[in-house]
Amino acid sequence: MNLLTRSSINYIFFSVVAFVFGGIIFYHVIKTIFYRQIDETLKTEKQLIEGQIDYSDTLPDFRQVFSHMIEVTVFNSPKKKFEFIKDTALYDKSMDKLVPVRQLICENTSIQDQGYIISISKPLAETTHLIRTIVGALILLFFSLTGLLIFVNYFISKSIWVPFNKTLENLRNFDISKDAPLALTATRIHEFRLLNKTLDRMAKQMRRDYVNLKEFNENASHEIQTPLAIIKSKLELLIQGEGLDEDQIGLINSVYEAAARMSRLNQGLLLISKIDNNQFHQTEVVDLQKIMERTLEHFEEIINLKKIRIIHHFNAPACPQMNRTLAEILVSNLVSNSIRHNIEEGEIRITMDSNGFEITNTGHPITIPPNDLFRRFRKSDRTSDSVGLGLAIVSKIVQLYQFDIKYEVKENIHSIKLNILTMGKQDFSGTDELT
Amino acid sequence: MKILLIEDEKELSSAIQSYLTKENYLCETALTYQSAIEKINLYQYDCVIVDITLPDGNGLNIIRELKEEHIDTGIVIISAKNSLDDKIEGLDIGADDYLTKPFHLSELNARIKSIIRRRNFGGTNEIILNEIRIVPEQMQVFINEEEIVLTKKEFDLLMFFLSNKNRVLTKESIAEHLWGEEMDMADSYDFIYTHIKNLRKKMLEKGGHDYIQTIYGMGYKFLTS
Repeated sequence: MNLLTRSSINYIFFSVVAFVFGGIIFYHVIKTIFYRQIDETLKTEKQLIEGQIDYSDTLPDFRQVFSHMIEVTVFNSPKKKFEFIKDTALYDKSMDKLVPVRQLICENTSIQDQGYIISISKPLAETTHLIRTIVGALILLFFSLTGLLIFVNYFISKSIWVPFNKTLENLRNFDISKDAPLALTATRIHEFRLLNKTLDRMAKQMRRDYVNLKEFNENASHEIQTPLAIIKSKLELLIQGEGLDEDQIGLINSVYEAAARMSRLNQGLLLISKIDNNQFHQTEVVDLQKIMERTLEHFEEIINLKKIRIIHHFNAPACPQMNRTLAEILVSNLVSNSIRHNIEEGEIRITMDSNGFEITNTGHPITIPPNDLFRRFRKSDRTSDSVGLGLAIVSKIVQLYQFDIKYEVKENIHSIKLNILTMGKQDFSGTDELT
Repeated sequence: MKILLIEDEKELSSAIQSYLTKENYLCETALTYQSAIEKINLYQYDCVIVDITLPDGNGLNIIRELKEEHIDTGIVIISAKNSLDDKIEGLDIGADDYLTKPFHLSELNARIKSIIRRRNFGGTNEIILNEIRIVPEQMQVFINEEEIVLTKKEFDLLMFFLSNKNRVLTKESIAEHLWGEEMDMADSYDFIYTHIKNLRKKMLEKGGHDYIQTIYGMGYKFLTS
């Protein structure tokens, strides 16, 4: 539900509630006014009749004077003075049905000590009709007025919220990794101006932090390379030294392995930050089938040594537009992943068509949700020697080209499916512009 | 063999120098762009190792200048930036190889050996060590003039050993040499063991010596003495 619909609905709701209550009150006020008038008339007539009774002890011929029903009943005994007015219905001969009337009944005793009851009935049809007409006209007026107001309100709101919607659109398109400014349009409305100003400041700050962080990561990784190179080369020299005993070799070996691990880690992080920085901007149409075949050849001995069976169905080559190096890293990481986490005498099944490929391999059950493995340093097996960046790198590449990747595990069968034909396909032909 | 090492990091420079000196190279060092330019203009080297990010200049310019004067000098770029653009440009202007820091000294040594071999003998050289004769271009290996058939990885392994004779080669450096840097597999060390076992067996079958010595926990050594 958008803002405008919401405000219109609220508007309609409160208008209807206000009208229902207002209408009821109005109806009763009108009715009271009319009834008071009728009652006055009835009382006046009663006084006239009583006056005549007291004065001449006769009854006037009411039919000529008043157009409604008057009945006077005379008794020999006196009656206590008593008077009331009520709504009731009487039979109308001319219309042959009961009609609603306002009736005044008055009991009293005349000067001659005779009791009498005067009953004056005034038909309400006309009054009811009048009230209905007034209320009907009012309803009509209300609805047209409300309709008009909602209509006007809709358009006013719409034009008022234009800058807000523009800001929203700009925010949606904002990408922190791209150096495009937020470009918020100027507006005369103070609140929106304040909002834009605040957002602009936040975006700039965020972008600055992002760039700083990125630079820090990159610099740190770069600067670590040199000391690492020194550590590794000095250790290598140390190893060559004669007369080392087994303990010393063990110590050196531990340091050496840690340094090697750190260097692999660092290279992985550098690669990720390079992908982030779009340093692999040159793209071409890459034949993933050829790369896959080369990769399998590259790992052939390891596959043979682990006695893994490879079954592949290359129906058609998948040929995305992407950077060749990244394509090689992508395939190599996925294949080596399926080898590393495989079991002895396991199986790797690779199918490819023009939409992408799927690698299915036997392996061990995993302890974390499969898609978590795409995050940095997430490993199913904490003790494993791998640095845990392989799939994070894959995920970065997949993100860059807006491919789709899915990791599924079913009873020790792991499967990774890459789809290169996604909605973003048209977009990445233009990645060169981003450099 | 004269080698010039252009590297601004003193400690790294001395480590490389020390490794290469033991390989009987005459290894000179230059710590700055300026001194490197001076040296290449004064002397002739068989191979130059260039760090392309120097504090006072770009190593790529050294390569350009070098190529104008001495076309025969082999060039290895070493860089902390694993940048494809740099690599392509470097190889384009005449460098023979590109290594990313941190690298194994044994790997650098193997690359230098390979470059010098290619340059000096025009690609028709043979490597002879006692009963072993290798024709690198054809990937042929003979023991006592009898050919042994090696897989590509076994051949690479043998060449790596021969480039670093009497040196301890760590499992890591062998794994990286055979499978590349992206090979992040702990169990690849088992595969090295298997490869070495097969290589040793093939060489022994034809009456070769048992050159390969295991250094416990560390790696292997190709012992010729």
